[in-house]
Amino acid sequence: MHRHIKVLSSFAGIAALIVSAVVGTSSASAAAAGALAPYDAKHAGGTVTLVAQAAAGTLDPKVNYTAQFWQLYQATYDGLLTFSYGSGATTFVVVPDLAEALPVSSNGGKTLTFKLRSGIKFSNGKPVTVADVKASFERIFKVSSPTAGSFYNGIVGAAACLKTPATCKLDKGIVVNAAKNTIVMNLVAADETILSKLAVPHAVINPASSPSKDAGTTIIPTTGAYMFKSYNPNKSLVMVRNPYYKEWSHAAQPQGYPDQILFKFGITPTAQVTAVENNQANWAYDPIPADRLNEIGTKYASQVHVNPLTAMWYLPMNVNIAPFNNVKARQAVNYAIDRAAMVKIFGGTQLAGPVCSFLPPNFPGHVDYCGYTKGATPAKPAKAWTAPDLELAKQLVKDSGTAGQEVGIVVSDDDVNKQMGVYLQSVLTSIGYKATVKPISGNIQFTYIQNTSNKVQISVSQWYQDYPAASDFLDVLLGCASFTPNSDSSINMSGYCNKALDAKMAKAKTLGLTDPVAANKLWGQIDQEVMADAPVAVVFTPKQLDFISSGTKNYIFSLQYKMFVSQLQVK
Amino acid sequence: MGLKDSSEAIFSESPGKIALRILAKDKRSIISLSILGVIIFLSFMAPVFSHYVANTNPFESSLNATIIIHGAEKPVLEASTTGLGLGVTPIGPTWNIRSYFLGADGQGRDVMARLLYGGRSTLIIGTTAGLLCIFFSLLIGIIAGYRRGWIDAVLSRILDIIWAFPVYLLAISLSVVLLTSGLSIGFIHLGPGSFALPIVIIGVVYIPYVARPIRAQVLALREREFVRAAVGTGAKHSTIIFREILPNVMPSVIVFIPIIVSLSMLTESALSFLSIGVQPPAASWGTIINDGLALLYTRPIVGLAPGLMIVFTAAALNLYGDAVRDALDPKTRARGD
Amino acid sequence: MFAFILRRLSAMVFVLVSISILVFFIFFATPGVDPAARIAGRNADQQTLMQVRHSFELDKPMPFRYISMMRHLFIDRDLTSYVNRGAKVIPQLSQAIPATFSLVIGAAILWLFAGIFFGIMAASSRRKWIDPTISFLGIVGISLPVYWLGEVVNLITQSKLHNSVFRWVPPLGYVGISESPWQWFLHLFFPWLTLAVLYAGIYVRVLRNEIMVVMGEDYIKTERAKGASEKRILYKHATRMSLMTIVSLFGLDFGALVGGYALLTEVVFGIQGVGKLTFDSLQNFDLPVIMATVMYSSFFVVFMNALVDVLYAVLDPRVRRV
Repeated sequence: MHRHIKVLSSFAGIAALIVSAVVGTSSASAAAAGALAPYDAKHAGGTVTLVAQAAAGTLDPKVNYTAQFWQLYQATYDGLLTFSYGSGATTFVVVPDLAEALPVSSNGGKTLTFKLRSGIKFSNGKPVTVADVKASFERIFKVSSPTAGSFYNGIVGAAACLKTPATCKLDKGIVVNAAKNTIVMNLVAADETILSKLAVPHAVINPASSPSKDAGTTIIPTTGAYMFKSYNPNKSLVMVRNPYYKEWSHAAQPQGYPDQILFKFGITPTAQVTAVENNQANWAYDPIPADRLNEIGTKYASQVHVNPLTAMWYLPMNVNIAPFNNVKARQAVNYAIDRAAMVKIFGGTQLAGPVCSFLPPNFPGHVDYCGYTKGATPAKPAKAWTAPDLELAKQLVKDSGTAGQEVGIVVSDDDVNKQMGVYLQSVLTSIGYKATVKPISGNIQFTYIQNTSNKVQISVSQWYQDYPAASDFLDVLLGCASFTPNSDSSINMSGYCNKALDAKMAKAKTLGLTDPVAANKLWGQIDQEVMADAPVAVVFTPKQLDFISSGTKNYIFSLQYKMFVSQLQVK
Repeated sequence: MGLKDSSEAIFSESPGKIALRILAKDKRSIISLSILGVIIFLSFMAPVFSHYVANTNPFESSLNATIIIHGAEKPVLEASTTGLGLGVTPIGPTWNIRSYFLGADGQGRDVMARLLYGGRSTLIIGTTAGLLCIFFSLLIGIIAGYRRGWIDAVLSRILDIIWAFPVYLLAISLSVVLLTSGLSIGFIHLGPGSFALPIVIIGVVYIPYVARPIRAQVLALREREFVRAAVGTGAKHSTIIFREILPNVMPSVIVFIPIIVSLSMLTESALSFLSIGVQPPAASWGTIINDGLALLYTRPIVGLAPGLMIVFTAAALNLYGDAVRDALDPKTRARGD
Repeated sequence: MFAFILRRLSAMVFVLVSISILVFFIFFATPGVDPAARIAGRNADQQTLMQVRHSFELDKPMPFRYISMMRHLFIDRDLTSYVNRGAKVIPQLSQAIPATFSLVIGAAILWLFAGIFFGIMAASSRRKWIDPTISFLGIVGISLPVYWLGEVVNLITQSKLHNSVFRWVPPLGYVGISESPWQWFLHLFFPWLTLAVLYAGIYVRVLRNEIMVVMGEDYIKTERAKGASEKRILYKHATRMSLMTIVSLFGLDFGALVGGYALLTEVVFGIQGVGKLTFDSLQNFDLPVIMATVMYSSFFVVFMNALVDVLYAVLDPRVRRV
């Protein structure tokens, strides 16, 4: 089981004003395309039961960093801003939530002014005040939120808070006025992505009285349509209606349909499928086991929803140690892997599509190209991947002088990843390496392959976008700043640091503030340049498969958080 | 599975010969040895089978392979064509010995060929681990029981620790560490993925089960007149151990061998089933069961076949163990058959 | 006698302490196991990583960490998980114990009855085919891999025949006896059978052989010569003598079961007991939970062993000297 990754990079921008204007326009157009349907009270009521193999750790919205719980936070916690309810592209749009409107930007984008909605109460009956807002931002640092240093380090005073979280004070960064109900946020530098960063769960507003350490399994009062009633990571998570909730924005926090949402844990994926088939559960969280796919696609076709994800499965190759410190060896891997075969392991062409570009299809900056397919080269790419070129791969391995070297492939030990590893072992052996596959527990594989001291040569990993910005892929995964030797937190697993390319990415980010179209074109070029150097091999882009029970209606898919749990109807 | 006092055997003229004579006539020993013989023979013929009969390499993924059935070419891994077309299913048993007799696994490999290769791993690991375990148990049991005193105290406490450490927990924890980093003792280095790792792990885990009864037996023997007499005449310790102690504990050790080998095989398969035993792409019956789990709904044979092989082998070993025990132990023999 | 018990107790403590040290160091010897980055979250800042490492005392020397963990586990009893932050370990363990006990005790009742019944039958029946048949079944029982048997049972009851014969079989998992005794029974029915098969095999074999040995003893021969009926001898002597063996065997098995076959059975049937908790925490590399479950299981083994030893010492004073 993989937990989806949500990462953003921060960078200095200048014209935040223009950016919010861009966001504003897209919001207007997209809202027309896929706004959420009006509330239909006759479908309200009942219990929605969700099932999963395991819980996702702490329930604290400032610490939890998993797709599994972020999906639930959408209906429970609110920030000043949030991603909109709706369908299609709308779900990527940032809308005001606890704030009355999108912030007013001044001082060259370095100052953002919000006005807090009045009359909103926490689920414990206490009103939401500007003091709670300030405390919530300080709490990001006090609890050592995973994104404290990457999302919110641009707030004035954040540097000191990162150093000594216990005494964190953002008196200069978050200036509140209780009389006027306003919040002024001061940034060290303008930041194009700040609105999105304020819309994710780590920036939600909690009571000022919340504990100043990770709350873990204890429940923090919510503002949204639902609140948490009980949480036992080995058993279940129960959500009920928040008695103090009254709808204030249909796009930001709409009223939900079920009276209760019950998330049960400790149920194997195959038992989850059976439970949904027998109407004992409404939805299965974990990926459907490979040998049940045909069954649900045939007998339960009307209950299956397949949606594209902007994500990738890829093979990071360590560019600092043999044999993949040789570009020819890395290219050889790119040519050799049969992407169609790996799609087969994943569940077939309906669930994934082979790619070899770094940015996934339908993503800003994505260009349809493939430099590593039969009859193509990075300099003269084909339109799409068609077949592997084993002969060329063997030749490249020979030319690189790395033939006969030992290569260890580190994969997670779940079934699909292990199968991928076994397949890769077979391919790498056939092009001239002495390959071995090392499956290790999925819970440590992700950090294990990041640490250079583990000397991992090649691995299988996944990356799920947070929202559409090319920098989320290219800059985060392959930027010099993401590479920290000997650390378990070094997301640039290839250890790839190309100064010239780094400069180009910085340029693209700056360009993005003024001319997004030109910037995306530049990102497209960067994509091809990176792949010519081949620090990774991209394999395919997966799709999200949701299997719901026959009695469950109103399935709506969000690009941001996947299925809207609160909008499911069981009446 | 307690150890029985086989003191009667001690005074027989040549207990080994009597036992062998009885064994040769015992129906159970004949049946079990034939079953074991067939299984061992087939497993060690695995390369011949996969090369000359099935024409597949059981360690190489063949996700795009095709086979001819009734004149029509079919992919070994068939993508679903019904409904939404979700999922890919490996081909089921063809019952044709020349290709995919038992069907394919998730990698498009011939399950029959892997089953035979898997048998090699399971048999080698089970037997070696079992013998290793018996050897060290004998060593520890005799030293502790014969020397007594603080040596016995130290060894017994170590045995207590291994004994109290839940079997699978110990095996799992050791495997997790050793499988990622390998094992280095002095100049011996066992790489991760080496067969030697599961052998060592399983060998260690069962030592207390054998060493404790041996120690108890040696302690008792130490008090017997003939050993005391030998000590009294000033014989060397090694002489006493080899002349007086060893021959008397051997019958019970021999009884242990088939039981421990069968137990080691079961443990090996359980560890592989928990994906911490034999590492891919190598196969053992346990790893094939594990692969088969992912195909339980569509191709149950992948998980069923290796399980049945384990049951056959373990049952044959245990049956043989019974025969050996009865042959060596006149008490049960007396009323037996 | 008192000195013997005291000696046994101190040996027990020694074993438990050694095991806890062993677990602790095996854990930290595993490469890539440092929980800091996993606790901190994806792509956490290096500074954040350091804060987390500090707050979990991972930057302290190993002996300090060991003692601190033991203090939180046994004295403050507030040890928390590395994975589900804030989740206390001891309540997790105490919630898992009833499931494990339900499984193990239920299975034990089954295998004791089956073992005794068939064992006596094999040893005493006059019909020629019964003894070999039962012995053969016993051998099959001890040769079945328990996890595989469990999977086959699942295949049949959850999939292949679920819509016909086994419609009544509930989905995998565990329901507490206090929630619904009937559901508790249904959920555990097949796990009990699966687990009991192996041990029934062992007990049948042991019991049969014990009775055979006893029946061959001289004093039984004397009684037989005096004209006592075979049945009477069987019940009076053989059964009583062999039950002693069973009791001591049971003490040892019952303890070892918790970390052995019960673990596999719980994993296969999705029963949220101590075994499943241990297995999950090993998968998660959640040291506090591993430590707690290992301590619990080993305590059980050691305690049962000590109990058997003390009982033996009460019955047979010579043992005390050994």
